[in-house]
Amino acid sequence: MSAPSSDVILRTERVGRSFGKFVALKDVSAEFRRGALTSIIGPNGAGKSTYFNLLSGSLAPSTGKVTFEGKDVTGLPQHRFAHLGIAKSFQITNVFPQLTVRENVRIAAQALKTRFDIWRPRAAMTEFIETADELLRTVGLWHRRGELASALAHGEQRALEIGMALASRPRLLLLDEPTAGMSPEETRTMMDLIVRLASERTVILVEHKMKLVMGICDRLLVLHHGELLAEGTPDEIRRNETVKRVYLGQREH
Amino acid sequence: MLAGLTPDLIALQLFTGLALGAVYVLLSIGLSLIFGMLTVVNFAHGAFYMIGAYIGLYALSIGANFWVALLVVPVAVGLVGLAVERVLIRPLYGRGIDYPLLLTFGLGYVMIEVVRIIFGRTGYPFDTPELLQGAVDIWVGYFPLYRLFIIAATAVVLAGLYLFLEKTSFGLIIRAGARDPQIVRILGVDVSKVWLIVFGIGTGIAGLAGLLAAPLQGVAPEMGATILAEAFVVTVVGGMGSLLGAVLAGLLVGVVVSMTSLFAPEMAKVSIFALMAVVLLVRPQGFFGRAGLMS
Amino acid sequence: MSAEFATSRMETAPASTGARLLDLAERHRVLLAGIFLLVFPLVLPFHALAIVILTYGLYALGFNLLFGYLGLLSFGHAALFGGGAYLCGISLVHFGAPWWLGILAGTLGGVLIATLIGSLAIRTRGIYFAMVTLALAQCVYYLFYQAVDWTGGENGLRLPSVTAISPFGIPLNFVDPLTRYYVVAAFVFASLFFLSRILASPFGAVIEGIRENEARARACGYDVTRTRLVAFVLSGAFCGLAGALQALHLAIVPVEMLAIETSGLAVMMCLLGGMGTFFGPFVGAAVFLILENLVSVYTVHWQLVVGVVFIVCVLFFPRGIWGSILHWSRR
Repeated sequence: MSAPSSDVILRTERVGRSFGKFVALKDVSAEFRRGALTSIIGPNGAGKSTYFNLLSGSLAPSTGKVTFEGKDVTGLPQHRFAHLGIAKSFQITNVFPQLTVRENVRIAAQALKTRFDIWRPRAAMTEFIETADELLRTVGLWHRRGELASALAHGEQRALEIGMALASRPRLLLLDEPTAGMSPEETRTMMDLIVRLASERTVILVEHKMKLVMGICDRLLVLHHGELLAEGTPDEIRRNETVKRVYLGQREH
Repeated sequence: MLAGLTPDLIALQLFTGLALGAVYVLLSIGLSLIFGMLTVVNFAHGAFYMIGAYIGLYALSIGANFWVALLVVPVAVGLVGLAVERVLIRPLYGRGIDYPLLLTFGLGYVMIEVVRIIFGRTGYPFDTPELLQGAVDIWVGYFPLYRLFIIAATAVVLAGLYLFLEKTSFGLIIRAGARDPQIVRILGVDVSKVWLIVFGIGTGIAGLAGLLAAPLQGVAPEMGATILAEAFVVTVVGGMGSLLGAVLAGLLVGVVVSMTSLFAPEMAKVSIFALMAVVLLVRPQGFFGRAGLMS
Repeated sequence: MSAEFATSRMETAPASTGARLLDLAERHRVLLAGIFLLVFPLVLPFHALAIVILTYGLYALGFNLLFGYLGLLSFGHAALFGGGAYLCGISLVHFGAPWWLGILAGTLGGVLIATLIGSLAIRTRGIYFAMVTLALAQCVYYLFYQAVDWTGGENGLRLPSVTAISPFGIPLNFVDPLTRYYVVAAFVFASLFFLSRILASPFGAVIEGIRENEARARACGYDVTRTRLVAFVLSGAFCGLAGALQALHLAIVPVEMLAIETSGLAVMMCLLGGMGTFFGPFVGAAVFLILENLVSVYTVHWQLVVGVVFIVCVLFFPRGIWGSILHWSRR
């Protein structure tokens, strides 16, 4: 828990983002510790997704700076992030629907090794297929590897997405509301998976439902109206009066 | 070689460019209007321009005068546009952005060939209306009256369009819809009706442009094909979906063409594509286009 | 518009005998294509037509790589096809190059023009791409049209007719239509083999992935813009080669080869045959050209038929002929 500050994997310094006149996020400075499972929480419209998109490189911040392992990554093109060691899952399910489950992960696995090879048959490049199969076992989809991704249930597609994110062997895994739209049963499976993944790498999780993450994460960031409201361990957050006030009367669902 | 180029000549050529640009403005404003609303790139836009000229030709041949044609043509071409949207394009909404584009491309073939069947393969000259023949003194020299008329007519159309978009409730819906189609739906407006009318207006303006251009170059079945590429250049330079961009880029392209034909006539056609290349390199979204549009 | 022949599909178990046969055909698609190319002149005794079907089919194949497999719609492919033809012609007429060097020049010409057009056009996205490629192809048209000394301008460029060739020391009579057919067919076969390799390669997986989900491909770490440019350039190689073969066959390069209508032909043939299918472009080219030959006997308004077929395909038949056969047999 008491990691030294040198062991910060990701840092944002006064990052902000506006869309036209609308300020979605303002001056958020935070540090994420290596090896920790950190959750970003907040009510709807708090700026969680915007913040997530800045961390994962889908959006460039309007102001401020993002550093990953000491390297300035502000405004780098999206595809560079996977190469740096940052992978993400989307809030809305985002797979290759007309490709098989295995091919989905296999494409993700080959991304860092080969991209412009137009001659060798990919069927003969077994290392990527093996990686794909191994990851499919991790996320519990190996038995469905031959089916089209579009044939999977919602929860399974989310799991597949995480499998794809893992294929780049990321040191930092970013998950945007991984349990959104899931049944209680699916949610439980997913949370188990996340805890397992977090034991081996740094995970940052955006979550709307506070209760879900309180028991599993090491640290929490609370966003509200586009600003950082509080930061700390689950216990500290639970005791925090400001957080209580914001969440008070807001029924969790 | 440049000895004969007096400032007056250059100024006159500038006006020629504005008249040519006015035609581009009318074409690309229709393209942008349709795109902004329906996210359809109308690849048959040049064909609508062409039938505008032919309907005008037909109207004159049955005894109507130019001024009547000026009213009849946009309405008639707009009606064709309405039918096309209703029957051919509407079934394609929600089926991917490439399909309406492919369809209108094929439609262009059909329209050109139908005109060939009715009017023949060869083109016709198109007389400048009597009232607008001759030239007027515009301080720097004598300038063809008809070209001035084109500039004025375009200004009137733009003013009318501006009033329509800014001052009427239907215009408000169009502006809101161009920004975010969801809003229109939430407001409870029948979006398909708005799309229908916008397509009609856009194609109607294209038809008018064809009629206005006819006295300059005559009419021919192929007249729309070459100008389509040029209208695309204008739209790309001005920024897709931006009406102000269409106006400024249209005039700019017109001036660039006329100026190049003064200094290096053989490069006139190529110059506008060079302009587009520069814009793509410096500002890929065009003058007024939003970055990331249509990603 | 799904890639019916994607290797990733192989894993799904075929349901019927027809589907099983098609799966077999797909696994040995290059072999199958080779056999077909061998017997095609026996089925279609008009050898000049058969040759044009192959050259246009190859042209449509190049287009299909971009639109069918990557999902990028270009309306400027005439510049690659016609540009290849002109560069082949120019190398023969002005530099006295032998036929094979002409083919090489045409292919490289396609690559070069694709690189130029591509690096400008990929700066735009989505629907802009179709407009920009159309405009840039029109620019290429004007450039070649005006360089009369090199290209013959509106009269087109006449090539010295190639009568005898001897590839690998084997003397062949290039005037004989059947011999000529097999020479062209050899290049088409090589192209199909190359395409098959591309589709089965890691790069083939990437372009399919980008077509399926661009944002996901980007998140996986793929540089979508560069991938598109590479695919465009590869497409240019196929189209340039097709243009060069066409130029050698016709012994003239008409300036219309660079016109918008020629760009439309590639789109049309692909649409008719089946986007994103391995054999679709050739099926489309064959049906289209045979239809053209039949209809032209009765009317000069062939373009009307082209337009109508275009519209009907888009509205009611988006899978195309070969695509529909695959679809039905798999159900």
